[in-house]
Amino acid sequence: MSAFWYYVFTLVFFLFDYFILAMGLNIQYGETGILNFAYIGFVAIGSYITGVTSLPSSAGTGQQYILGWGLPFPINLLLGGLAASALAVLVAFIALRRLRTDYLAVVLISLSLVLYDVINNYVPLFNGADGLYNVPEPLAGFFKLTTNSFIPFFAAVSGVVALILWWVMHRITNAPLGRTFRAIRDDDGVAAALGKGVFRYQLTSMIIGAFYAGVGGGLIIQFGGSFNPTAWLPGETFVVFAVIIVGGVGNNVGMLVGALLVETLLIHLPAFLPAIPGHPGLIEYVDTMVVGVLLMVMLWFRPQGVVPERIRRSPISLAKRSAPTIIDATVPPESVDTTAAAQEIA
Amino acid sequence: MTLFWLSVGFGFVTASVLTISAVGLSLQFGITNYINFAYGDFMALGAYFTYVLNAEFFHLNVWVALVGGSLLMGILAVLLNQFLLSPFARRFNKTFYVMIVTFGLSLIILNVIYSIWGPDVRTYVMPLERVVHVGPFLLTRDQIIVMFVAIVMMLAIHLMLKTTRLGKSMRAMSDNTTLAMTSGIDTRRITTITWFLSGTMAGLAGSVLGITEGNLTPAAGELFLFVIFAAVIVGGVGSIYGAMAGAVLIGMATEVSAAFINPEYKLDVAFVILILTLLFRPSGLFARPGKG
Amino acid sequence: MTDPAMSLAGAEYALNCEDLTKSFQGVMAVTGATFDVPRGMITALIGPNGAGKTTVVNILSGMMRSDSGRMTVDGIDVTNWESFKIARLGLMRTFQLSRELGGLTVLENLLVAPQHQSGESLFNIFFRPGRTKREELANTERALEILNTYGLYELRDSRARELSGGQKKLLEIARGIMAAPKILLLDEPMAGVNPALIDRIGGYILDLKAQGMTILMVEHNLNVVEKICDHVIVLAEGRTLATGRLSELRANAEVVQAYLGEVINAGPTR
Repeated sequence: MSAFWYYVFTLVFFLFDYFILAMGLNIQYGETGILNFAYIGFVAIGSYITGVTSLPSSAGTGQQYILGWGLPFPINLLLGGLAASALAVLVAFIALRRLRTDYLAVVLISLSLVLYDVINNYVPLFNGADGLYNVPEPLAGFFKLTTNSFIPFFAAVSGVVALILWWVMHRITNAPLGRTFRAIRDDDGVAAALGKGVFRYQLTSMIIGAFYAGVGGGLIIQFGGSFNPTAWLPGETFVVFAVIIVGGVGNNVGMLVGALLVETLLIHLPAFLPAIPGHPGLIEYVDTMVVGVLLMVMLWFRPQGVVPERIRRSPISLAKRSAPTIIDATVPPESVDTTAAAQEIA
Repeated sequence: MTLFWLSVGFGFVTASVLTISAVGLSLQFGITNYINFAYGDFMALGAYFTYVLNAEFFHLNVWVALVGGSLLMGILAVLLNQFLLSPFARRFNKTFYVMIVTFGLSLIILNVIYSIWGPDVRTYVMPLERVVHVGPFLLTRDQIIVMFVAIVMMLAIHLMLKTTRLGKSMRAMSDNTTLAMTSGIDTRRITTITWFLSGTMAGLAGSVLGITEGNLTPAAGELFLFVIFAAVIVGGVGSIYGAMAGAVLIGMATEVSAAFINPEYKLDVAFVILILTLLFRPSGLFARPGKG
Repeated sequence: MTDPAMSLAGAEYALNCEDLTKSFQGVMAVTGATFDVPRGMITALIGPNGAGKTTVVNILSGMMRSDSGRMTVDGIDVTNWESFKIARLGLMRTFQLSRELGGLTVLENLLVAPQHQSGESLFNIFFRPGRTKREELANTERALEILNTYGLYELRDSRARELSGGQKKLLEIARGIMAAPKILLLDEPMAGVNPALIDRIGGYILDLKAQGMTILMVEHNLNVVEKICDHVIVLAEGRTLATGRLSELRANAEVVQAYLGEVINAGPTR
């Protein structure tokens, strides 16, 4: 397969993958208002667990890691998602329950840094700074794939996963559950005053979002066969925020658009440009800066994003309207100056 | 036992660096009411400004360069507030927007540093180390100077807050911004001055960190950020004295723990203390009402 | 004052509180609020500014914890319960400064109100879609009817944050109604409202009483209180000063003094 097609399929993979990651962060932040600055940590856990549950036992591999269960795809992927959800439960009970937005953001970003630090240094967990590698290709034996055909194949697999996850998210956000999440986002005091157990919903949102993060991370390690700390510096969470904010917070199509614009065009495409001699990595650095600037520009000029959150219109209308409307004069018992009332409402 | 006392000695040094950075963060948070997630990168940038003055272009003595580097960072902080942060803070009434902007700023500054100076480790040009025995502690002359700088800074801040009009205005604004505004305090001016102080202290802390660690890396400030957060929160958010107390506590705890556990994880001890504080005494040691 | 033997009976009283106190940083906002809210009637909570009325409402709805004292809803002791638990018992409240759910449409604001909706559970969304859909449709019909009654039908698909102040007030009340509470706490429903609209809202409140709801309203506008309220509680300096009918209270020297004789004797009586 030529280099060109290799690039194209890799870009397509990352488009689908970041679409999934964006949907996960969106349900936490865009729908429920939880400023999860540790998001990349959940992605990493998903990735690592997906890896160690499909790698064979670590003895003799030259790597050190926990588990090593040798399970097939997609079981390992599901486990990755569930592991991330488990972390979300822990975080929700310890931090979410007690802290308001700013302090929560502080604790989450600290968690992200500490998680990074520990995984990077404590080798027996996930092979430290070297990370995991030689992760078995999913379904490769089953379909008798070669290295060349694996890439388009797996890009397609991730497309299927993305489609399923999109459908699930679509159902959730359009259901009363999604509406309650948004109510909590807009004003959690009012939601509580209406009888909603706010923490329970925040927990649910965190768990769902984390599952998506974990699956997104799992797909990364399955695609590339390896995963190490350089892939998930805490600042990477910001890139996912950029995807959802540029694309359009609260809108599932916006997630796809954001993934396309930020992740595919800005981050991955330039990675294929030839390096500037004498300045290795410069393109990457400038790239990240551009993402940061783009986000600020978007926030300033178009905070709702490219594809803003849709207005969910009433699915039905009243067949007959006998009761007073704004223009109508018939009103309740007390005599009322209807012209004044109409002016007040108009 | 000697290892213990040695750690305590190092604890004072870390506490010194932490105090400078925690007070800088706390002053700014008290006035603006949002967390600056780029603070760690302000520290790093300040350290690199000092590096330029010390090892790249001007070859000044590191202690002199440090003053220059810190002031440069202070000025940059004022400019960033003027043209970026303040406009966002005024435009949106929820703090998440400006916090995401600071998060973005953090990434931008980090990559600017990478672009200009690259990822390699740098060091300051320093006169030869001399080790001094002070009681049971074994400290280098530079570490002692750093502690001295921290003490002077703490005293200066204390005097400023308690005796000057500026200090009183800052305390008023920190308690209740609207009331301060209607009492005739020029909140814009105070905010600008606070950012200058915060940036300068960040630059100072970053440079001093570079001196005590013996090297500079672009991400050093960022990785230290959660330790600063721990100090500020454990000490009690909104309280400057709390930040100082928290810094001493956390600084001491992390260094002393290195005598008992693998020193690679000593900073993570700060996180554990942060979580325990949040679980059992969330307002911290000296919380100010209205900020918790 | 209330008959001590009756004060904790709970059965005739929808809501009751005893010796509630609350201080903020050393300032005592509520020093001893004790009263009963009779079932099925409209009760007003009045008093001069700073009397602690809104604080009391915040405590009754669970948004603030009292420092001491007890409160019951339908005879159940709810002292220090969280707001959502009290809301689930059937006590809803509105806010003095309308708190609309800005990003949601007017219709969605109402649709958030019903409790225990099937569609709020992941299981139901995926495994009981029929039931979820039917319930949603029923709620939507009811919500549209309510919007219609309150004159907000045309605005049903507009984002709540785009409404005018008066419309937000109406939305606030409509949302409270949609929640189908047993007890509704209205925090200054007439505050800042156009006089013509005041009469209309008064009418809506009387309709609610006719449907069996118990209402407690904090109100400054004594004309309204006179017109629609059955029972009045006076709060001054954080404690219950007197209770009874407005006409009796106007004759009560203590009450008059608390108001400095201004508002209470002003305005035409009808």
